Amino acid sequence: MSDYELSIDGSEVQPTEGWTLTWLDQDSGVARLSDGTRSEVCLVEGSGADWVVTLRGRRIPVAVRTWRERVLADAESAARRHDGPIEVLATLPGLVVAIAVQVGDEVSPGASLLTIEAMKMQNEVRAPQAGRVSSVAVVAGQAVAAGTPLLRIE
Amino acid sequence: MATSRSDRSSLRKDGAPFRRLLIANRGEIAVRIIRACRELGIESVATYSDADADALHVRMADRSERIGPAPAADSYLSIEALIAAAVRADAEAVHPGYGFLSENATFARAVEDAGLAFVGPPPATLQSLGDKLAARRAVAAAGVPIVPGLMVPLVADGDGSVPRADLPGIGFPALLKAAAGGGGRGMRRVDNRAELEGALAAAAREALAAFGDGTIYLERLISPARHVEVQLLGDRHGSLAVLGERECSVQRRHQKLVEESPSPAVDPGLRAELAASARQVAATVAFHSAATVEFLVDADGGHYFLEMNTRLQVEHGVTELVYGLDLVAWQIRVAAGEHLSESVMAAAPLGHAIEARVYAEDPHRAFAPVSGRVTSWRMPDGPGVRVDAGVTADTPLPVEYDPLLAKLMVHAADRPAAVVRLRRALDETAVGGVQTDLSFLRWLVDEPAFVSGAYDTGLIDNRWGEGPALTDEQRSLAAEVARQARERPARSAAAGTVAAPLPESGWQQIARREAVGRRQPE
Repeated sequence: MSDYELSIDGSEVQPTEGWTLTWLDQDSGVARLSDGTRSEVCLVEGSGADWVVTLRGRRIPVAVRTWRERVLADAESAARRHDGPIEVLATLPGLVVAIAVQVGDEVSPGASLLTIEAMKMQNEVRAPQAGRVSSVAVVAGQAVAAGTPLLRIE
Repeated sequence: MATSRSDRSSLRKDGAPFRRLLIANRGEIAVRIIRACRELGIESVATYSDADADALHVRMADRSERIGPAPAADSYLSIEALIAAAVRADAEAVHPGYGFLSENATFARAVEDAGLAFVGPPPATLQSLGDKLAARRAVAAAGVPIVPGLMVPLVADGDGSVPRADLPGIGFPALLKAAAGGGGRGMRRVDNRAELEGALAAAAREALAAFGDGTIYLERLISPARHVEVQLLGDRHGSLAVLGERECSVQRRHQKLVEESPSPAVDPGLRAELAASARQVAATVAFHSAATVEFLVDADGGHYFLEMNTRLQVEHGVTELVYGLDLVAWQIRVAAGEHLSESVMAAAPLGHAIEARVYAEDPHRAFAPVSGRVTSWRMPDGPGVRVDAGVTADTPLPVEYDPLLAKLMVHAADRPAAVVRLRRALDETAVGGVQTDLSFLRWLVDEPAFVSGAYDTGLIDNRWGEGPALTDEQRSLAAEVARQARERPARSAAAGTVAAPLPESGWQQIARREAVGRRQPE
């Protein structure tokens, strides 16, 4: 039922179902966790994909990623493994709605390159490494499939 | 010199022992002393280093004085800065708390020379007890059992001449200790003769660095052993109250994590022996104020003097709970020359108390201190629960100081009820932002050796180690909690998160229901 991929220390984890979370102090992340017979206080901190759950005093970092975030993160980490010129590929099928760079621009890691709209959400494609944009293969308004080359950074 | 101390209380029209008292300490103990001052009608003066300018103790005190930069040597250990602050604040007395300068004879003397009352024993007493080896000789001469071992230094100030003649009688394993020692520094276990020279050199170096004195002596290692200490409270007029014992065997690095009173290892016979020995130890020095006499108790119930600490102990709260006394208030009253009351002299223990120390330490990484910021802070309450805390939510943890955050104490009719209450209290507790030893404490209250009371100082090494690995069940549960948290973002979520269009009233209702439920009488 979950739309999220959950992992602890890099290994995927299946969530236990049937527990309800009742906020005791939502601002500070304190909640009561109950399965209907047992309950205890736990603490949840984080936002987006990165969370830390404290159960019985033990801090457990949990990554909670949507399918889209996982694909993007995987692509980014795969791209990071390259040193030389790299080709930035579309990780999602969608529509290119904006291109933020031109040929010749110097970009630093994490800089926004272009925006792809997919599943009614705008996803920014960021530079996986520093370099100079040597070519742009798409134009705004173009539909792309996953894996389509978008631009090159040298 | 100002008016003599014993006259001071008679000068107070309102009956307060002092008009204004400076606290030469920080954290939870400073907060504890502020509370005692408030109840006694004394104005409190907090002291703070630059790292503590916004600390809880500073915010709680009536006034505050800056004493220097963050490093303790330049602030909480600076006699000059503290005396200057006390004079500036026009204080009449100084409470040193525990640690820092609490057992420093030079500081106590400087306080008295400035015309102020030192809340502690006379400087000469601190001086004589500061040398553990000299104290050991004096106590043995008084007929109190001591741990078998040397009565003379093995190394005097790093000098290589070692009298080895006495060694065969002691046997191995043995423990090297620093004469100026405390806190486990300069302490080394030696398992055989061959290890001695290397361990000795290391211990002497460590002691020299920590205390400026590399004098080391040797004791037989008593193992298994329990660490049991007797609480004393004395006035300036010769009255001495013996307020039972505390069991302090849950230790890591020779430092305590959990204490309880009474000790599950002490029967009425041993309790009487410990009390008699503690009285004999106290009689070897001119003593008043609060003090603790520490003993090791071996598997046969034999007890051996370790040391006498003439200050408030971190764990004084468990004694306060079972005896119904305020030890800090009595320290202050005694410093002003008051007599211990008849009710103190006749105080009798009731029930059982346990203290669990909450440290910013990672028990899964050898209890290594962690730094950072406490983000969330939820402490337990309800019947029989007391929390002495030095932090609140959103508190940075300065790396310069001891990582003790709070002491969580419970009191109940007997030990089994106290263990159940501690478990309940720990289940209500949550600290965010940093790993704490709460995971160890939560494990401990289910650990059979602790639940039965049959544990010794080897408990953490033998039963905990680095703690149990995360189970699949815990991982799945944590994952589920994180998933639900992401699906229902908090109202005041960090910038950039979707503004949560939640049925706000519904969550508030639940929170309110929970809050009301906890306040209903039991």
